[in-house]
Amino acid sequence: MRFRTIYAYMRKEFIELVRTKLIYLVYLVPTMILLLFGYGIRLEVTHARVLLIDNDASKLSAELIGKFEHSKYFAPTLSQVSEQKALRLMKQAKIDAIVIIPSSFEKRLLHGQKSEMGIFVDGSFPMRALTIQSYIEGTILKAAQDIGAKMGLKPKIAINQRTLFNQAMRDEDAIVPGLIGLVLLIAPALLSTLLIVKEKEKGTIFNFYASPLSKSEFLAAKLIPVFLLHSVTIFLLFILALYIFEVPFRGSFFLYWVASELYVLISLSIGLLISIITKRQIVAVVLTVIVTVIPGFLYSGILMPISSMKGESYIEAHLFPVMYYNHIIYDTFLIGQGFASQKNILYLAILVGFFLLYFLVGTLLLKKEMR
Amino acid sequence: MIRSFIVTFIKEILTFLRIPLLVLAVLYFFTLDVYIAGAGIAVKPRNVTIGYVDYTGGGVSQKILSHFHTPEFKKPKAFLNERNLRKAIFNKDIMVGIIFDREFAKNYAQGKKATINVLLDSTAAAQSFITLSYLQNIILEFQKLHLPVELKTHKLFNQNADTHMFISLAELLSVITLLSVILTAMVFVKEKEDGTWDLMLLMPVDAKIIILAKSLSQVVINLIGTIISVGFVILWAFDTPMNGSFWAFVLLSFFYILSSAGIGLFIAAVARDIMQVAQLAILIMMPIIFLSGAWTPIYAMHPILQKLSLFSPLRYYIEGAESIFFRGTSFVDLWPYFAGVMLLGILLYYYGFKKIGKLF
Repeated sequence: MRFRTIYAYMRKEFIELVRTKLIYLVYLVPTMILLLFGYGIRLEVTHARVLLIDNDASKLSAELIGKFEHSKYFAPTLSQVSEQKALRLMKQAKIDAIVIIPSSFEKRLLHGQKSEMGIFVDGSFPMRALTIQSYIEGTILKAAQDIGAKMGLKPKIAINQRTLFNQAMRDEDAIVPGLIGLVLLIAPALLSTLLIVKEKEKGTIFNFYASPLSKSEFLAAKLIPVFLLHSVTIFLLFILALYIFEVPFRGSFFLYWVASELYVLISLSIGLLISIITKRQIVAVVLTVIVTVIPGFLYSGILMPISSMKGESYIEAHLFPVMYYNHIIYDTFLIGQGFASQKNILYLAILVGFFLLYFLVGTLLLKKEMR
Repeated sequence: MIRSFIVTFIKEILTFLRIPLLVLAVLYFFTLDVYIAGAGIAVKPRNVTIGYVDYTGGGVSQKILSHFHTPEFKKPKAFLNERNLRKAIFNKDIMVGIIFDREFAKNYAQGKKATINVLLDSTAAAQSFITLSYLQNIILEFQKLHLPVELKTHKLFNQNADTHMFISLAELLSVITLLSVILTAMVFVKEKEDGTWDLMLLMPVDAKIIILAKSLSQVVINLIGTIISVGFVILWAFDTPMNGSFWAFVLLSFFYILSSAGIGLFIAAVARDIMQVAQLAILIMMPIIFLSGAWTPIYAMHPILQKLSLFSPLRYYIEGAESIFFRGTSFVDLWPYFAGVMLLGILLYYYGFKKIGKLF
């Protein structure tokens, strides 16, 4: 390795990066992704549009309706429309759910007879439907328990629940750390994927073929500037998570830093590998999106916990680096076990393995000759 | 005029077909990618892992545990003591921990209030919230408290809240957005980078015709991809019901793709090389996707965001597509979606067209 040569080449690379005026996108894209997803993904549903059809118009039904009106989860409308009309409203996507209180609801209840209450939820967005359903059922059951307590029915078993890591059940705490894993996978890979394929398409790669520069020197010169740029991103994301989203940080910053730098290296080498095997920039971009965005979402544990996966998806999740990194990130932010956890150490070692594998394969495939 | 349009159009389609890896990648997006997303993600409590410590020696506690079963829960796993259980939760091997202490059975038998301790990993906030309500229902049912109200819940249009169909459709809509923006922008930027753009300026052909033919060729490629995807993956592999009109969906898709192509043209006018296209595309598409209501219902957003969402063409497309597929909304009631997509589609396309036209 001749460091002066590398330095000179690196300077050239760096100047080229800066000259493409959109260099600020290097930081803008990660920031945007984090802000938009962080604010954008709300798994909790508020102001669900519930249509209440009260066929009873009694004191009890009014009491029940009051429970809906006083909840932040619902924006109820009270109406006496026919079921047909209500269904049409749902087909027009104007309401999410219909609750029908049957006639002589109060009378039957006071006589201790059972009465059936109809709930119809729009299932087009399944997760939202389940959430709204559980809110509605919870609200009614709570009201029923209150009434039951008045009538002398007392529950014998109580649940004493403690929520760990995210006591307030904030969506931000649950999602933002996972997003860091997503951002640091996409952004560096997208930048490095064009590094070599661009020269191939333009023909400037022949400069490298003809120069006395060795393969490893070439790669070092290509990767170091991008690596340094994204090392800043690591801190940027940390600050955003902590101060904009107010996610608590309970673990070791050193662990966060080391794991993140390593992860950026992995992401860069994924981009590099694609850059080496493709011949056209457009293919490289599309391929990079495929191999980063999909696993970044599916197998990161943001939307679905790894422990809940089964069969193929469980195996696939273990084949991508994002799951291991996210485990460490959630640990450093919310759990705080740090180096004391053997699982963290194991996963860190696995990340090193991923980097070495990708980088070695990439170096082997890169040829310093005409093809 | 018409001849030069057709020639350019066919040339662009051939150029696309001549890059086998690109054709493969686009096909992958429209088929396997949509399939994998649909089959792989389920954003509802499924296979939730439960661990428990039972200090009571069985009986009531085991009866309660027997209520947790598939597909919502994996078989509860026994732990010797609370420390091991906690460790498993901290390592994310277990999501919900249940502890029955020694007092539990005694109190229950004597008719006193018995307490179950539950530890929840709430990083998966959605899953643990719904898990907790399952838990409450199970215990409520177990106690056979005769509540005077019986709830009959129906999920219309998608009875089992089956997420395959929904996620696959949502994924397809994202794929369409991504590809129609990137492919359209690439077609122009590549010429800029190669320098063939300057050659075109010298040609005696009207620039407008070239822009039209080049961008419409990409629109057609995306539309064909969409039809392939709907046919093979959504209707065939996932057996999604098609409650509305197929052609209404194709028409809606056409206008949506046109609006994305307009964004692509704008990016092509601004960007100098492909790296900038990739970055700009992500930068512009993220807000469009997030204001579309696919992740957060629009009425639950901040009021300012609700107003902004009116400018996201995906908002009209996604709700229109949902309505056609699931709700089976009649053609008359679909007009807001068509109006939104057409208006934004024509405006965005016109703007992009003007913007890139200035380069001639």
